[in-house]
Amino acid sequence: MAEEIKDPKTGKKNRNYLTGREIREIVRSNNKITHALEKKKRRKAKEEEFITTLKDDKNILEVEDLHTYFFTEQGVVKAVNGVSFEVPQGSTVGVVGESGCGKSVTSMSIMQLLQGPAGQIVSGEIRFKSYDFKRDEKGNPIPIWELDENGEPVLAEKKDKKGKTVLDKEGNPVLEQKQKRDEYGTLQYEMEEKVFNIAEMPIKEMYRLRGRQIAMIFQEPMTSLNPVFTIGNQLDEVTLLHFPGSSKADAKRRSIEMLNLVGIAMPERVYKSYPHELSGGMRQRVMISMALAGDPRLIIADEPTTALDVTIQAQILDLLRDLKQRINGSILLITHDLGIIAEMADYVVVMYAGRIIEKGTASEIFHHPMHPYTIGLQKSKPTMDSEKETLFNIPGNVPNPIDMPDYCYFRERCSRCKKACFGDYPPMVQVSPTHFVACHLYDDKKEEEK
Amino acid sequence: MTYSYLAAAVRGGQIIAAGVMLALVALLIIAAFVLFRVLVKKREKEEQDIVEEVSTQEALEEHNAQYIQSDNFAGFDDALEAKREQLLREKKAAEEKDLPPDENALLEVRHLKMYFPLKKTIGGKVTLALRAVDDVSFKLKAGETLGIVGESGCGKTTMGRAILKLYQPTGGQIFFDGKDIAGYKPKEMRPLRTQMQIIFQDPYSSLPPRSTVGGILSEPVKVHKIVPKDETKDYVMKIMEQCGLRDYYYERYPHEFSGGQRQRICIARALSVRPKLVVCDEPVSALDVSIQAQIINLLKQLQADLGLTYLFISHDLSVVKHISDKIGVMYLGSMVEFGNKQDIFTNPMHPYTQALFSAVPNPNPDVKMDRIVLKGDIPSPANPPKGCKFNTRCPHAKEICKHIAPKYKEYEPGHFVACHCYSQED
Repeated sequence: MAEEIKDPKTGKKNRNYLTGREIREIVRSNNKITHALEKKKRRKAKEEEFITTLKDDKNILEVEDLHTYFFTEQGVVKAVNGVSFEVPQGSTVGVVGESGCGKSVTSMSIMQLLQGPAGQIVSGEIRFKSYDFKRDEKGNPIPIWELDENGEPVLAEKKDKKGKTVLDKEGNPVLEQKQKRDEYGTLQYEMEEKVFNIAEMPIKEMYRLRGRQIAMIFQEPMTSLNPVFTIGNQLDEVTLLHFPGSSKADAKRRSIEMLNLVGIAMPERVYKSYPHELSGGMRQRVMISMALAGDPRLIIADEPTTALDVTIQAQILDLLRDLKQRINGSILLITHDLGIIAEMADYVVVMYAGRIIEKGTASEIFHHPMHPYTIGLQKSKPTMDSEKETLFNIPGNVPNPIDMPDYCYFRERCSRCKKACFGDYPPMVQVSPTHFVACHLYDDKKEEEK
Repeated sequence: MTYSYLAAAVRGGQIIAAGVMLALVALLIIAAFVLFRVLVKKREKEEQDIVEEVSTQEALEEHNAQYIQSDNFAGFDDALEAKREQLLREKKAAEEKDLPPDENALLEVRHLKMYFPLKKTIGGKVTLALRAVDDVSFKLKAGETLGIVGESGCGKTTMGRAILKLYQPTGGQIFFDGKDIAGYKPKEMRPLRTQMQIIFQDPYSSLPPRSTVGGILSEPVKVHKIVPKDETKDYVMKIMEQCGLRDYYYERYPHEFSGGQRQRICIARALSVRPKLVVCDEPVSALDVSIQAQIINLLKQLQADLGLTYLFISHDLSVVKHISDKIGVMYLGSMVEFGNKQDIFTNPMHPYTQALFSAVPNPNPDVKMDRIVLKGDIPSPANPPKGCKFNTRCPHAKEICKHIAPKYKEYEPGHFVACHCYSQED
């Protein structure tokens, strides 16, 4: 076993533990890197520094060569190691993989929610097409005024905070321009499209996007809702933070509309209740309504139904599909369940040990899987129609995330291994306009075609 | 001196007086309590008498039949119906109590009840109970696998544990190998523990972190004296090999293993005492898909080699379908459907089973299924709905479902269903 083999480089005996001195050395070198990266995250930056352009204008999110590492005492864990994929506007992209393959870390990187200082985006680009407020010279957002049929601005009585009409010295009500409201009664401002590079954005600037342009639905709804505040309180916060000028009454109206939208029967009652009073399915609905409250362009659903029962899962999936059409947004769906992916996703990304091994449209991945891992994954899942006696199983385990090998990570578990697999990590091979696979089995085919 | 002597006497007198007073108060309290108990008991008895008076079985059947025929339940007495049902159940359980157990069955469960007290009176009488398992009966032959499916909170885990006597069941009979073990004391259960074992859901929390794999596996062998002392290590090695564990794992600790390997250790631990029955309580839920397949194959292999009988509890229908011979569907503590795998999957009769099956996502992007989506959540088992427990979410619910609980009947040979949709046809 591993203990007996000597390391070819150092000639020392290979131990399966680290000494205190080694750990201190690792921590020291880690600290150098993480300090610099943390400093970069907290810097004051002008907008020009993190504004870029998209490669393809149809996409809403482009992740390119993303590297997210965790600097631990045991060594550097390359949780996401060169991941690139796109989310086209209005579509659902499913990311599938086993636990520890880096699918959640990818989503956390997009939201910049990584636990610092250990977790850091080391390199790569995350380009996101976002709406942002158009601002005047002072930096205030420009409101949209309501216009009547002739194009004249509509005048309305000015009201103070308590809702009373403001009177001038002569006792006549003061008139002001009326700002336009959307269907939920939220004030409207002029917006423009900008493309941000999230990997370069300082944390403070992220507040514009998080919860507003990109929303996230977490796996465990009980731990992601605050137990000491009411649902209403937590929902209102989204509106109060992200829609300037909205009052508490506006926020409440919007929150209740959102609860209605996700199919909660008694929104008024749920608005007043605390998270522990609701069941798992209801909590997940509240989480979804919270994500919707910011009117996001991209929803990241990180295992949204894993903690729920099958019947409730069916309800939530139906709801998500229905909502996607209604709000015309995009969904990045992260799950380990191939069934859910097949049902929801237009495009599928298969991850293994921090890298993408295959990506393509749903029908390509499910009908013509190419990578041995994808094939194995599909065969190993018992389905309701299958009548097989024994399940196909992929032998072995995912390799240790520290000290990943240079060769293909799947080599030890692969049954179709060949000579080239003992060389470098396989590059991404394009087999169709939308289908990519990282496997040496398909290298030759490409060369032959050339 | 005289003064102090006097003072002491007075003080002494006070203490005695106080003592007497205390004793009196205590007596009074006890007397009041006894009186209270007597009164309560008297009242209960009176109530029971009234019910018995009103509810001679035939009279109540007639009373119900009248409503069922007219399909109009205005003025229907739910409390009376609940009492009638309870009486009927008790009567049935008492009738079946003396029947001999089925000889072919390794495990036979009759009217198993597992209630957890929620509210008690001062006297210890349970006024409100959570009916985690309520009147469940089934038979399981040796060498077969029974899959139990249901949503979380439907009582499937509680049932598994009650069968192993990890909980003391509130009522019912459990025949294991022809003996009724429901009334056994823990000491009497000890020798039987070698014949029935459990595999827990979470392999991360069910292994002791401070003992080596060898220690974990050899402890039950030593305690139950399965093999002579000097052969223990060889025996454990053999078990480890059977479960796909390498021999050098013997000296390692659980934290050095991944989830799949840990679950293998759990399986090896359960098998080390040569059990006949293994209760698998969601053994693959905490594992990844590729590892799940390994564990399921291992369980099937072991069953073929050792002739094990499994009670396989899971919420994943596709896994249950793969491994089981028989399937029981549970909802809110009751068995709503039970039968052979083929019968249940080709012809699911209960609306809940139908909804459960249609809710499973199909890994084929072209198939868009017509899904039966159930409304709402599973109701609280402490306060289950009246009549049929499923009536609040059932797409076919009728008026009768809201008032009268359906009978658990055999509609096809070996296929039991509890639903009003079928009871009217015959």
